[in-house]
Amino acid sequence: MRFPVLIALAAMLVASATARAVASPPTSLDVSASGVDFFYNRFIVTADGNVRVRLSDGTIVSGQTFTMDLKLNRYLVAGDVHLDGPKVHERGAAFAGYPDLDRSYFLPAEGAPERWTYYGLDWSDKHPGREQPGDAFYFPDLTGERPYIYAAGARIVPKTNVLFDQPRVYTAGAYLPLPRYVVTFSANSHFYENGFAGARADVALPFNGSEHSLTALHVRNDQFNGTYLAIDQHFVWPNDWIVASIDPLTQEQRQYNLIGYKRFSPKFEARAFLQESAASPGLINRPINAAGFTEIQLNAGLSRSGLSFTQDNYWQQLLGYRPGANDTVLTANYDPRWREHPSNATLAWTGFENRIFKFAPLLFRLRSGIGNAHDVYGEGGYPNLQPGPRELWYHYTGATLYTAPVRLKNNFSLTASFDKQRTWYSEPHQVDVADTRFSLARVFERQHVNAFVAYETRTTGDYWGAQQLAAYPPGNPNPACTVSGGDVCATPFGFIGGQNAFRGFAISRGATGSVVYTPTAYFGLNLTLAHFTDFPAPVPGLYGQPPWQFTGDLRMRLSKQLLVDVTRQYYFNFANERWTPQLGVQFSP
Amino acid sequence: MMRLLSILLAAAALTALALPSFAQAPAPAAAPGTVVRFTGQLLDVRNGYVYFTTGDAFKLAPAPKLADYDTGGPTKLQPRAKVFARAVVDPATKQVVELDLTTRRLPPDVAYAQVQQYAATGATTVRAPEIVGQNITGREVAVEFVVTVPPTTPLNAEVYISTDYSNWDPRAIKMDRIDGQRYRAVRRLASGTKFAFRVTRGSWNATELGQNGLQPTPHPYFTKEVDAQSVPVTVYAWSDDRASAPQAAQPGAIPTPFNPNPFPPGGLYPPSRATPPGGFPTPRPGQPNKPPR
Repeated sequence: MRFPVLIALAAMLVASATARAVASPPTSLDVSASGVDFFYNRFIVTADGNVRVRLSDGTIVSGQTFTMDLKLNRYLVAGDVHLDGPKVHERGAAFAGYPDLDRSYFLPAEGAPERWTYYGLDWSDKHPGREQPGDAFYFPDLTGERPYIYAAGARIVPKTNVLFDQPRVYTAGAYLPLPRYVVTFSANSHFYENGFAGARADVALPFNGSEHSLTALHVRNDQFNGTYLAIDQHFVWPNDWIVASIDPLTQEQRQYNLIGYKRFSPKFEARAFLQESAASPGLINRPINAAGFTEIQLNAGLSRSGLSFTQDNYWQQLLGYRPGANDTVLTANYDPRWREHPSNATLAWTGFENRIFKFAPLLFRLRSGIGNAHDVYGEGGYPNLQPGPRELWYHYTGATLYTAPVRLKNNFSLTASFDKQRTWYSEPHQVDVADTRFSLARVFERQHVNAFVAYETRTTGDYWGAQQLAAYPPGNPNPACTVSGGDVCATPFGFIGGQNAFRGFAISRGATGSVVYTPTAYFGLNLTLAHFTDFPAPVPGLYGQPPWQFTGDLRMRLSKQLLVDVTRQYYFNFANERWTPQLGVQFSP
Repeated sequence: MMRLLSILLAAAALTALALPSFAQAPAPAAAPGTVVRFTGQLLDVRNGYVYFTTGDAFKLAPAPKLADYDTGGPTKLQPRAKVFARAVVDPATKQVVELDLTTRRLPPDVAYAQVQQYAATGATTVRAPEIVGQNITGREVAVEFVVTVPPTTPLNAEVYISTDYSNWDPRAIKMDRIDGQRYRAVRRLASGTKFAFRVTRGSWNATELGQNGLQPTPHPYFTKEVDAQSVPVTVYAWSDDRASAPQAAQPGAIPTPFNPNPFPPGGLYPPSRATPPGGFPTPRPGQPNKPPR
């Protein structure tokens, strides 16, 4: 009676041993060779001469040449191949690894030619005569391709990145030698989350990486700090990520950033942003001032809606105060406002898209929320130079009513939308914002042209009831205007009149026309002209927008790998400029 | 008469049934004394066999001739991985008697199927169900990406597609607005092209959100074996769009759309403590940046 039980136990052990042997595919490949090349355009790594590939289980595949398509996630070792590991010693002509299929294909060169198939990293069973992919042993055609990197070795983490050892990286027409360089090709976009503020130029030098991390040094340039170094560290998982950065690293005024994102479930995510701005002379010195900012955001998916909580916190001074600091005495080293910790918290609800009638393309979405802004000293935030309320509550509700594109005759289509939001503040006033838009589009199929015209009105009303004229008295356009108390606002761009009649109710009417000409997939021309009539008259840098705007966008594919996009924009005679051209040129694959 | 007709019909049916088996007969063997040539790329020459990238191995004659592919003369090239070769097979012995070598890429040999009968590799006898898929030719397919944006998206907003193939460049593919709610981009992509993409407004601070306000996973894309393909995507909200969320007012400010504090100086609120006339002369620590995303 015990015998069958023992047999069953033995069978289970054998089965579990087999299950262990059929391990997951290799998690890394360490490649060394006489030369390792990387072709960025094709995401292909090749290696030639004394190739040695060490798989993550310790098995070594050596041969004359190696090639791996990083995107297709398959590799090949060919020519006098030796497959050596604790449980395998084979010689062959070629070895092809298909991690996605959890299979390795081998052409043995001892005895009669055969085709063997290994499952995962189980080298104990070779499965001869099994069907193999038709192109398992094909080399990619790299004719005419220039390597982006020459290196002595590479560590490949499938589907994630490649760390090149002693690389020479093609930069501005020359190969730049570096100690290490990481190319990330992961489909996980979290590797590319950014912890830096904007800059005019940013050249990243990623030098360390693994399946879940990436470290990069950045050479950056912006108009405030000049050229400087910055560094960031990424930790990445399929649903979560963390980015820590110091930017700039080599200037006195530094920002230390930490951003984290976690998806707890498909319907709940959290995001945190922590930033410390500090001035510390030299590389490692005690900071002479420091401020902090945090933002916490929680998003939850509800039944046909979503709920979002956001809280911002400000710390004006993180350093200790000097003994005897007096809140009523302002000195060069002490500002009583530094004791302030303003905060702003909001809870927002957003509904899903709903259809009003079953067969009519009329849709709507609802939203509402509540919030609190707290500032004990009531100093008001930048650029407010005047005091404000110390505690402010607000709540809002809004809706968007819109049509899906309605097809009309002769390739015409129509869209319309109306959006309105009202926000109530504990200080007794309310702000209404509304946006109404119509667009008519037509497709000229034979001419490969799409054209549309749109008309939009945006209104904003700040309602103070009986205090309306106190809030918006004549001759007080904005404290940021250098000339206040009249009809004219003086700005660095000129004098803007028409401010005197403003009582807190603004309207902007805009008409936009656009033509898109796309004769082929290799050429595109987009011309857009827009005209806006705003009240009050737009003030450059404060509010409003240029009355006339023209944008031309030309895209041409110059080669298989290069697409040039030239954009030029004109603001006719706005901000004391007759023309304000902004020329943008972008090259992309 | 009817019987004769039935016999004729039966004979015709039998002939028709037999025809496919005739078609499946092995390729005709080469005439005695002639050789067969084919081209391919080498994997290795080892243990008396020459291996091609098709995975097939052919028996080498005891002293095969190595020649230059272009001149037919002697060559310094050795048969090794990546080298292209024209193999000359003697059908009588099924051995490769000559290899004409070159490093120049040779086109795929359409006649290869006829010489596979001379390969020495053991036949595959076991099916591999994990090898599935469709016949992808790599033909160019006109692909139209159409993105429907929230109706409140500004008319002059720029919308882009960011892909993993562009290393998630947030401005990888620029789109054209074609009406009040939709943007479009047309590209020619090879069939079989596969990537993941997200829709942005030019930076990772402004990416698409789902209806519930959560960040969606990237959209998977695959170019089918068709003449033209359309890829519709709907964006329900933008991550930087605070219009549909609370106004992120600066602390303490009265968030009016035009003026942080519309009242004239000395108006509604008393000044804060210790504020000297003319404001504070000392610079404060820098204003925090907006959080990047």
